[in-house]
Amino acid sequence: MLPTPNGLSRTGWRALVPQQVTQGENGRHEEHWATRWAWFGTCAVRGFPAVTGRSETPSRAERWLAQVARAGRTVLQHSGEIAILLRDIVAALVGLRVSPRSILRQMYVMGVQSIPIVVLTAVLAGIVTSQQGGYQFTGAIPLYVLGSIVTESVVLEMGPVLTAIVLVGRVGARITAELGTMKVSEQIDAFYSVGRDPVSILAAPRVVAGIIVVPVLVAIANLVGILAGMVSAQLTVGLGPNSFLYGARLYWQSWDLFYSLTKALVFGFTIPVVAIHMGLRTEGGAEGVGKTTTQAVMFMTLAVLIMDALFPPLLLD
Amino acid sequence: MQTRPVIRYRGVHKAFDLPVLEGIDLDIHSGEMFGLFGASGAGKSVLLKTTIGLIVPDRGDVEVDGKSVFFGDGRDLRRIRDKVGYVFQHAALFDSLNVFENVETGLPVRRLRAMDGMRIARLVWQALERVLLDPREVMTKLPAELSGGMKKRVGIARAIVGGPDILLWDEPTTGLDPVNTAGVQRQIRRLSRELDVTSVIVTHDIEGGLEMCNRVAMLEGGRLRFLGSPAAFRASSDPIVRAFVDRAAAEAAVDLVATT
Ligand SMILES: Nc1ncnc2c1ncn2[C@@H]1O[C@H](COP(=O)(O)OP(=O)(O)OP(=O)(O)O)[C@@H](O)[C@H]1O
Ligand SMILES: [Mg+2]
Repeated sequence: MLPTPNGLSRTGWRALVPQQVTQGENGRHEEHWATRWAWFGTCAVRGFPAVTGRSETPSRAERWLAQVARAGRTVLQHSGEIAILLRDIVAALVGLRVSPRSILRQMYVMGVQSIPIVVLTAVLAGIVTSQQGGYQFTGAIPLYVLGSIVTESVVLEMGPVLTAIVLVGRVGARITAELGTMKVSEQIDAFYSVGRDPVSILAAPRVVAGIIVVPVLVAIANLVGILAGMVSAQLTVGLGPNSFLYGARLYWQSWDLFYSLTKALVFGFTIPVVAIHMGLRTEGGAEGVGKTTTQAVMFMTLAVLIMDALFPPLLLD
Repeated sequence: MQTRPVIRYRGVHKAFDLPVLEGIDLDIHSGEMFGLFGASGAGKSVLLKTTIGLIVPDRGDVEVDGKSVFFGDGRDLRRIRDKVGYVFQHAALFDSLNVFENVETGLPVRRLRAMDGMRIARLVWQALERVLLDPREVMTKLPAELSGGMKKRVGIARAIVGGPDILLWDEPTTGLDPVNTAGVQRQIRRLSRELDVTSVIVTHDIEGGLEMCNRVAMLEGGRLRFLGSPAAFRASSDPIVRAFVDRAAAEAAVDLVATT
């Protein structure tokens, strides 16, 4: 029998994947799926010889199996924990257990304080696209097309993706390090011990703030990027603002903005969720915080890039 | 004094990479002061944490006041957490909250809603005074501005402010100077006597523990190696228990461990 924990989801999930071969009531190994699963888990952690009692080195098949078991267990753990985290966040929001004040505070920290770096990135992105485009087609194509190239690249790609990458570093890493430190210093346990729910207090406000704030930041980045591209086009290839905007309007669809902001919304949701998840599973002191923060940055960056690649096939059809 | 059990550990098993708890069965009775000893890493903190569901055992269950911690519903667990105060080994104060707000979180949410600011302030004030802190001085400080011993005492204030029925102390006196150690020990005794609080105290201060508690246990190798009265603990002939009681035996045990 496995315990069915109540409100203890994070540790509870791990309890479903025991690392010990459990002994049955009568002393024999219980023939339960969890027992076998646990056996593979133990093999993965400690190697076959430790479990089987054999002293010779494991065969290649055994090592391979252990690798698969370990990888499978990790994937299961992460996905299960994220699913439970999301469930708890939704429950906290539906139950109105999230304080609007902490959402506002997170919106300030994640949004307002990120404006300078987002604007700077957008300016540079606009300039680079404009220069790149201007360099590539002086000649046959009318120059005003540059207006459309810059606008579309900024709105569809540069704006959302570069903003997201910047926010991974500025917002995501901060969340993981913050929650990770709270986890290893037992502050998360302390929340539970005084009957408070860290998911409503810490996790939900950050996710809600991310969903609200990132689209706004991306909208700002789009605007600033286009303006910077326009100025740059004037300075480098002498394309005036009027022709630039004429070109931009020629190919513009209102769908483009929707596409851009949908991306922003997805990134604004993913970054805090991954960051919180990694923070809450931190273990092992300051070193552990460093480790999960680095891992979180890697996961968030990959997630942003992969989702960006998945967007056209999913949405443009 | 020994009446119904308020905490029952039943077959608690927990393994991380290696087994830590291998079947703990233990009843703690109402009004009892229970001392839990054991070497570093023996699993004392893990056992204490299972009491309010901070760590889920692989097998077994804990009951508090007849309610299951791991098989009951969420409401039961919330009630259990409301009536149990937990003193963390490293204080675990909330970094972003000042001392007042930290202690305030010790009040159950539902009671907090029904209270006005004056009443809350008075309770927090009293709790701070009880742990020999000057409220005027520390109230607005952040945890980062406190010494280790002060943090510890704020942690105790947070655990006692809600008037709990049960207090779990994870090394309450480790890292305190002798005066504060005596102060905290007096506090533990007073709470147990006056408020009929049941205490479980994890401590490395064996002498202090034996003096204060009416029953003690020793955790070793995932099981309770000893369970009984302080007098029986002192008189035990078990070499491991002896190592905890007197220094000479500890020296002998070091040699014993080194040779095996
Ligand atoms: N969350 C965890 N993840 C993995 N291992 C853990 C975890 N918590 C505790 N352990 C392991 O369980 C064992 C017992 O730890 P515990 O903190 O209960 O010891 P302790 O008896 O309280 O020791 P001390 O007197 O030093 O506080 C240790 O080996 C520790 O590494
Ligand atoms: Mg401990």
